Amino acid sequence: MQAKWISKKDLQKLVAKWVKKYAVYAPVYNGKELAFQIVEKPAQIVLDDYLNTRYPAKSLILPQSEVLMKYDGILHGVENAEKEKIILGIRSCDARAMRLLDHALIDDQNPDEYWKRKRDSAIIFTLGCNEPEETCFCTAVGGSPFGTNESDGLLIDMGDAYCIYLMTEKGKVLFKDLPDADEAQLKNVKKMTKQVEKDMPALLPKQELHDALMASFETDFWKDVSQSCLGCGVCTFLCPSCFCFDIVDETVRKERVRNWDTCMFRTYSLEASGHNPRPTKAERTRQRVMHKFAYWVDLIDEIGCTGCGRCVKYCPVNIDIREIAATALQQDFEGMKK
Amino acid sequence: MKNKKPSIILFQCQYCLASMQDQYWVEHELPANVKLVKVPCSGRIDPMYILNAVQGGADGIIVCGCMPEKCHYKEGNLHARRTLSEFRNFLSSLGYPQERFIFHWMNIDERAVIQPLIAEFEEHLETLKPQTLLKTRTFSQEGS
Amino acid sequence: MASTRNIKIQTEAKRLLQEKAVDVVIGFKKGTLPYKMQPCFIHDAKEVEQLELNGLCSNNLAVYLNHRPKGEKTAIVVRGCESRVVQALVLENRHARENLYLIGVPCIGILDLQKLQADEQDPILAVEEEGDQVRVTYRSGEKTFKRIEILHDACLHCNHPQPMHADMVIDEPGYFEDQPYEKSYLDSFRKLSIEKRNARFKEEAERCIRCYACREACPMCTCEECFVNHSRPQWTDSTTNPAGQQAWHIIRAFHQAGRCVSCGACERACPMNIKMTYLTDLLNQDIFTEYGFEPGVDEALLPPFLTLGDDQVKFTDQQEDNHAG
Repeated sequence: MQAKWISKKDLQKLVAKWVKKYAVYAPVYNGKELAFQIVEKPAQIVLDDYLNTRYPAKSLILPQSEVLMKYDGILHGVENAEKEKIILGIRSCDARAMRLLDHALIDDQNPDEYWKRKRDSAIIFTLGCNEPEETCFCTAVGGSPFGTNESDGLLIDMGDAYCIYLMTEKGKVLFKDLPDADEAQLKNVKKMTKQVEKDMPALLPKQELHDALMASFETDFWKDVSQSCLGCGVCTFLCPSCFCFDIVDETVRKERVRNWDTCMFRTYSLEASGHNPRPTKAERTRQRVMHKFAYWVDLIDEIGCTGCGRCVKYCPVNIDIREIAATALQQDFEGMKK
Repeated sequence: MKNKKPSIILFQCQYCLASMQDQYWVEHELPANVKLVKVPCSGRIDPMYILNAVQGGADGIIVCGCMPEKCHYKEGNLHARRTLSEFRNFLSSLGYPQERFIFHWMNIDERAVIQPLIAEFEEHLETLKPQTLLKTRTFSQEGS
Repeated sequence: MASTRNIKIQTEAKRLLQEKAVDVVIGFKKGTLPYKMQPCFIHDAKEVEQLELNGLCSNNLAVYLNHRPKGEKTAIVVRGCESRVVQALVLENRHARENLYLIGVPCIGILDLQKLQADEQDPILAVEEEGDQVRVTYRSGEKTFKRIEILHDACLHCNHPQPMHADMVIDEPGYFEDQPYEKSYLDSFRKLSIEKRNARFKEEAERCIRCYACREACPMCTCEECFVNHSRPQWTDSTTNPAGQQAWHIIRAFHQAGRCVSCGACERACPMNIKMTYLTDLLNQDIFTEYGFEPGVDEALLPPFLTLGDDQVKFTDQQEDNHAG
């Protein structure tokens, strides 16, 4: 792992160079909110004092609606060529989510071509969180505001300069002419990151939580938890590690499209026969929470939630996944069987 | 593109044309730019049908139904009148002008009225600027 | 430091539960975030102390009536808008009025998070309401607002903040008085050119991410199956493209014509901050002008799209002019 040092001004100059060759995505204020958009001028980029974007960065690789093919008597594929893109300044929770999505969407035999193509053409630079928000809990689920194993490079804001850790060749090439960070600088970075991490929530006991949730499966716990759930898709649509989609034939426009779908909708699990294996909000909420905190653990021994806090912050009725996890850990499910 | 005739969608209640000749004309001899959507009763016309026509790029919409007391289903036409006229107001505040969306409630003694009605409406539409405000979807060629 | 308003709500809830007059009391309790309250369901008289009502209670509680088991005796804390929803739903035969007990609270208005958090990157740490003043602590410092400055638009335009048809009304002053129907804020929209109106509509609608939080937060959206979920026939694009987004907003609003009580819960639930109450208000204003009808106000008057009134006579007498052109 290489560590480089670059002043904020120089980074702007560097981005100005990148813009000519790559599609550079970075947080930009679009008049309503911060969102990842193609940058035209480096001055547009907001990297200081930003917490996170509302709309998850996964949409850059897994767009909410993606045309898979068009048909007009005959089939037409969609444009294959992807311009190489640089995603600058996503948070490490979102970057970690992309790695999780790789597990879900790419395997050796059947990689999801649409995801893989976009993913391979992207160079991702994370921006460490010096001041995480109150709803953030990446440390509780095994991440870190300065996670290094998630992306091609990690930028850490050090006042008027960035310290850049470069993890992959792709990342190194882009910053190759820069001076290395010296000992004293690195020490400062370490000290600062330690301090920030210390103030974040403590790590959840992964296995214990997994076991508790498994025990809760048939209990009324989920009925209580989901009582106030409205059944909308906010938590899952804004979640960086949710990846469910639905393939639709838009017959009028003659396209086959895949759209994000969510397990929180009744129609998600509705079968053609009319039977619905998850008939009420209780089962649907259980699915969302257990997928993140139990099934992912079974699959890759990692929690599938990355702690970005979007579902906590934007849930219209304040259903808090942190609270659910904490309650599940304390509850005695043995005495609670249905 | 310039001298393309305005596309019109005609929603017609199957009972409203009293004369066989008119019904035959509507079903077989409509000009190519007019599409027919024949419904069992004007009360069956959901605002969604209208919206689909608007989004599909219809330049004009005609809704034809029966006179108030003449509805085959007693009051479907009255229901249509209430909801669709409000829907027309609503669309006009969002970008589809009222003059492109007309109603015609047929009287039992009306003969050969539908032909001039469509012709006049078409003429009127041609005087208007083309509108694309709510046209968000390409128009399906198969039509009705 | 419970306010007298909360204590009165709690006392009433306690009485109802102890006397077994109801099975459950629906109200609000403290949430996990300083700027959010959680809807809660109290079954036990010992738990009533959780009940609270303040300006951060942004949901319309009546929505839960549609989720609860039929026949359950339910008490519900209602403000003006919620009480009108109950009335409208009872008129539509959705609920039996005798199973419901309305604890009316004169409304103190609902704070708009969007107005509170003008800079989204500056998180809110605490919100304190004291009468007319609201003190908000941000990460960057403290700020005091006048209540009226940060109330939600729907509350500012509300003309029935007092609970109606309630079984009992908490004896505490509200923040507003009832007013005659007037949505003059729509005038500026109506006066715009058609292109500008369309541009405004598009700007809002096309940020939609189709999460349907507006639908789910709306107590009047009671359909078993929504038109957007139909696949045969497919009524509209389920894709997030302009056609689908606009169709969703147009038809959602239209299904609320003469039914929407203008509580604004849809807007407050929207994660993308899309403005949408103006759509239903446009429709409701037309309906008020045409039929003099206000949703949820009258106890017996049916909404205009559920009845035909004297249309049969009216149109027959009028020697009908075809309103072409």
